[in-house]
Amino acid sequence: MARAAGAEVLHSPAAATISERSTRTHVTDTIATSALRFPVRTHALGNGMRIICHEDRSAPIVAVHLMYRVGSRDERPGRTGLAHLLEHLMFEGSLHAPKGQFDDLLERVGGTNNGSTWLDRTNYFETVPSNAVELPLWLERERMAFFLPVLDAEMLEVQRGVVINERRQSCESRPYGMADERLHEMLFAGGHPYAWPTIGYMPDLEAITLDDARGFYQTYYTPGNAVLVLAGDISAYDGIALAERYFGDLPPGPSIPPLALPADPAPSADVSHETMEDDVSFPRVYAAWAVPGYGTRAWVALDVLAYLLADGDSSRLQRALVREGRLAQDVDSYLYPTALCGVFGVVATARSGIEPPALESAVRRVLDEVASDGVSDDEVLGAVRRVRRDQVSELAMVEERAEALAYAATVLGEPEALERVMDLYAAVTPEEVRRAAEEWLGAHRAATLVVVPRAGGAEVDDAA
Amino acid sequence: MPPKSRVAVLPRPTLGPPPAPRVPHPERYALANGLRVVAAPRAGVPQVALRLVLPAGSVAEPLEHPGTASLVGHLLTEGTESTSADELHARLDLLGAGVAPSVGHDFTEVEVVLLSETLAEGIALLAEIVTRPTFPPDQTERIRAESLDALIARQDEPANVADDRALREAFGAHPYGTPSFGTAEGIRAVPREALAVFHAAHYRPAGALVVAAGEFDPDELREALQRGFAGWTGAAEPVAYPPPPARPANAGRLVVHPWADAEQSEIRVIGLGMERRHPDWIRAGVANFLLGGSTITGRLGANLREDKGWTYGVRSAFSAGMQPSGWLVETAVDVEVTADAVAETMREMRRLMDERVDDAELRRAKDALMLSLPRLFETPTSVAGRLSTLEAYDLPRDWWDRYPAAVEAVTADDVQRIAHEHFDPDKVVRVVVGAMEG
Repeated sequence: MARAAGAEVLHSPAAATISERSTRTHVTDTIATSALRFPVRTHALGNGMRIICHEDRSAPIVAVHLMYRVGSRDERPGRTGLAHLLEHLMFEGSLHAPKGQFDDLLERVGGTNNGSTWLDRTNYFETVPSNAVELPLWLERERMAFFLPVLDAEMLEVQRGVVINERRQSCESRPYGMADERLHEMLFAGGHPYAWPTIGYMPDLEAITLDDARGFYQTYYTPGNAVLVLAGDISAYDGIALAERYFGDLPPGPSIPPLALPADPAPSADVSHETMEDDVSFPRVYAAWAVPGYGTRAWVALDVLAYLLADGDSSRLQRALVREGRLAQDVDSYLYPTALCGVFGVVATARSGIEPPALESAVRRVLDEVASDGVSDDEVLGAVRRVRRDQVSELAMVEERAEALAYAATVLGEPEALERVMDLYAAVTPEEVRRAAEEWLGAHRAATLVVVPRAGGAEVDDAA
Repeated sequence: MPPKSRVAVLPRPTLGPPPAPRVPHPERYALANGLRVVAAPRAGVPQVALRLVLPAGSVAEPLEHPGTASLVGHLLTEGTESTSADELHARLDLLGAGVAPSVGHDFTEVEVVLLSETLAEGIALLAEIVTRPTFPPDQTERIRAESLDALIARQDEPANVADDRALREAFGAHPYGTPSFGTAEGIRAVPREALAVFHAAHYRPAGALVVAAGEFDPDELREALQRGFAGWTGAAEPVAYPPPPARPANAGRLVVHPWADAEQSEIRVIGLGMERRHPDWIRAGVANFLLGGSTITGRLGANLREDKGWTYGVRSAFSAGMQPSGWLVETAVDVEVTADAVAETMREMRRLMDERVDDAELRRAKDALMLSLPRLFETPTSVAGRLSTLEAYDLPRDWWDRYPAAVEAVTADDVQRIAHEHFDPDKVVRVVVGAMEG
């Protein structure tokens, strides 16, 4: 459940492959974790578009990843969901690659493609056999330069319907599907741009106009606001030449107004606690904290803490809530690698007969113990190894590696920041983990949402 | 900003010949006790994916206790002859190993993903949990209670209810008709001793296989496997499969499972499908790709999603099994268009039966399937998964080498025949969880 959900959005600073470097032995003498490296060549086009090339010849494929520095945080209240709806529209064709061709052309050459929208960024990505690398570049050029002429009311209505269905499928119709939305509203009271869901509110999705979509596109979908990564079976020389050919002549686009940020991204000081009913069989407790943003030293310590708390059956929360305490069916922790600030979360589902307060206080007790008594060398060592296991798994695919590089460039300013963040893990000390819990995961900073079974919610359940 | 129309139009690029896919050609051998080994080393990613496959799926479990195989799988890491559950988890977590048992209808698979530097210790742990679990009473009761809670929670989601109902409709009392994780009655009733009996009967080296993929030294792998699995002996009891059903009892009919206040209806269309070893498997893959193999460009996706905007996605697939184990269409749509979506799905299925697919559309499907081959062997886990499927279903070892030619050989007549055999609305059951008016 939440493990997968957390990991999926957690485009963590994962790493893979290549060269062995010096063995770091910080925590104990046995932490043999050679650093993971991925060499890149970067290049800037005249219009400001940044190009990142990462060569890896182990499979005859190339990942093309185009990331725009725009996400739901750039929307305004009343028009939430606009960034994601526009992402859907961008698959509906362009002047010279009309509707249906995008997926069709890529599938014909054996490629895949997709896109996604999140708080800080929107990405479009294709993986193709290496002979076909020019095709996604041409298609991305098409929709960067020739999308507006094909954007019309009918296209908007169809994709509005698809997105409304996506929202129903992943929120309204899914057990606990409204919890994350409410949790973020509680955590980011006061108009912070992480307060609203990326998929958007239903009335806003109904209200978005063609002009909204056009304006958003013209503002943000520009070369100057984009990073392009070419990863895999292609040289940097060829990659840069192709980037120049397909994007070098595009106009840079307008400069983007800076995001007006609230002074303090943290919640408004007081404990917030709510209960929500849903059509579910078991109560589930969600707790979340606003914490330092992706790539900071504190964020890395918190990531180690997230693994130490709930990844692996010997972890603190698994033992206290599931294995020994027998209060929960499952428990998970996660940390969003978001830019303005991070979000640390703990989610636990009650066992039969267990009431939410027991879960809440058990979670609190574990966090308090970490903050007051600290953690052991071995706990940190194991957690760092499990982080590394997941980083290696994730970045085994060039598509994921391309995304991680694009994200580092978009959020931290340069792709090399990815290795720097990864290297920070080996230096995390038990004291830093303890301090992170004490400083950031205090009870007074938590937003807590309890989802409980709907009262009297007996369902019609007869098969016809 | 200058108007974008002033940007030059570039021609769509012409592409060179596709690269030759690099299909792994693993080393195969057997240990003295009969355990088959498939080793596919490749440098690059400092990781090893190990996948141990046992003929110990839910089909092998006692009929009166559905859920036995699943409980056994989940209890492997909960205590062994020499190590307590807590110690086991502490060791696994300190290594950073990811252990994931999965129990299907035909097989139980235990996947262990390791950093290369921890290979020897990881294999020792894998061998210990697979060959010497003890099913301690307190852990057994905990896992039993958690499994029962998970079954209840599963029913909260209409998609799960639809999936379970579809299996039941297609396969009835055949073991494929019950989810591989079992039933509440079975999980509640199965005695702890029966878990050990199941393990002793089906977790044996002769009949099992292990696949290793990723960065490792083949000699080190062989030595670690020999050391870890040395004391394991015997052959798995043969699994008796009942005959597959001739046709679903409700074939040609619609089954509605009402769901109060549903905003969406979950739709499933299920037929019997074909066994993984069936000579038509690749032809069926091409026919299915045309209909719903790709959620956007397949005929179903083009119609229900791209044209109508009724759904976020729709897809269809044949399941792999020792016996025919299902062909399934799945989607979720606005509740108001449920009847229309079911009708359009049937129309697309019938259209593949009634009209020969034209050359261009068939060409496109073949290209999409053949040319995606280079992507299929990118990571240790994907290599381990594909090799274990070949080995477990006893498919030809050069399957992937021959795959492009086999796809190329599929004809429009083949597609039409497959459609008649598998996509005929009279041979499938339509399942709706939600509401359906009219």
